[in-house]
Amino acid sequence: MKKLRLFIPISVFLLTAVFLYKGLFSDPTDIKNANLEREFPEFELPNLMDESHIYNKADLLGEVTLVNVWGTWCVTCRVELPFMTQLRNQGVRIVGVYYDNAAEAAFGNVNLAKTQAEVEQMLAQLGNPFQFNIYDVKRDLSLDLGVTGAPESFLIDQNGVILAHRRGAIDERVWQQQFQPLIERVQ
Amino acid sequence: MCKFIFSLLAWTFFWSQSVYALEQTYPFDDVNKSKVFDELTQELRCPKCQNQNIADSNAMVAIDLKNKTYELVKEGNSKQQVVDFMVARYGNFVHYDPPINSVTIWLWVIPVMILVLLIVVMLRRKKEAGPKIDDNYLAQAEALLAQAEQKNTKATKQDKEA
Repeated sequence: MKKLRLFIPISVFLLTAVFLYKGLFSDPTDIKNANLEREFPEFELPNLMDESHIYNKADLLGEVTLVNVWGTWCVTCRVELPFMTQLRNQGVRIVGVYYDNAAEAAFGNVNLAKTQAEVEQMLAQLGNPFQFNIYDVKRDLSLDLGVTGAPESFLIDQNGVILAHRRGAIDERVWQQQFQPLIERVQ
Repeated sequence: MCKFIFSLLAWTFFWSQSVYALEQTYPFDDVNKSKVFDELTQELRCPKCQNQNIADSNAMVAIDLKNKTYELVKEGNSKQQVVDFMVARYGNFVHYDPPINSVTIWLWVIPVMILVLLIVVMLRRKKEAGPKIDDNYLAQAEALLAQAEQKNTKATKQDKEA
């Protein structure tokens, strides 16, 4: 019994060490998402390229869809565009939500024509993964989705339930580990 | 002292400036609503720049959250309603005062557990610590000490006389 007690300090030390070691490599941006397993929020927003065309939630339903929040001003979005285009060619339906940093007075005035030109140029250059782009004029939809920046991606099923949420770029590894199994499960 | 007063003044000055700036950008007719808004922007945490509240941050998402908070407070939502609105979208992370649930309860329980454990260990130690003293030994030791002292005083007396 006496000998056993000698192990208490070392086991406390080991437990603390493991806990702290794990904390050292934890991702601070990996906040548990409140939206998971929830319905995609309702919205009514125009097409980025054609303001007269208004989309709503119904346009996203029917098949598994990857909703990608992005912007031409965002460097990481550039990085994931080519891989996303590959995904589209494999038959994944990807819809863009354009997260405009110009829509707030503090960042300057909105110049939609300029944005459209930038988008066209960038997509021609790096690949166009999007079936269509929703223009999140005041970032209301992004706020309802709990978006903290760009890029962020949401995988939603046929009925509009959010299956996965990724903060940051999607690459081959993330897709295989996090998204592929979910798609296989719902299909 | 002078330094202290100066820094206090400087601090008050800058603090009042920041409050003033917020009031200009987000004007309220109702003083109570203005107070609720100030409290909320202090308590809501910026989800992007994680060590700042949304009042202090100029990240795009923090500005969006500030605007939304302003809108909601202006519409007459209570403080709790706004907090609930944000938590529904950004999770408990977004509020600096997390609710007690199965995960956060440990933040309260563990320190208390450690404190109790320490008290128990300390009390036990104290009981064990006191060495058992034999009264006979003590008497002997005291006698020896007294003898030694007597010798000592005698010796010093002789020295003086000599």
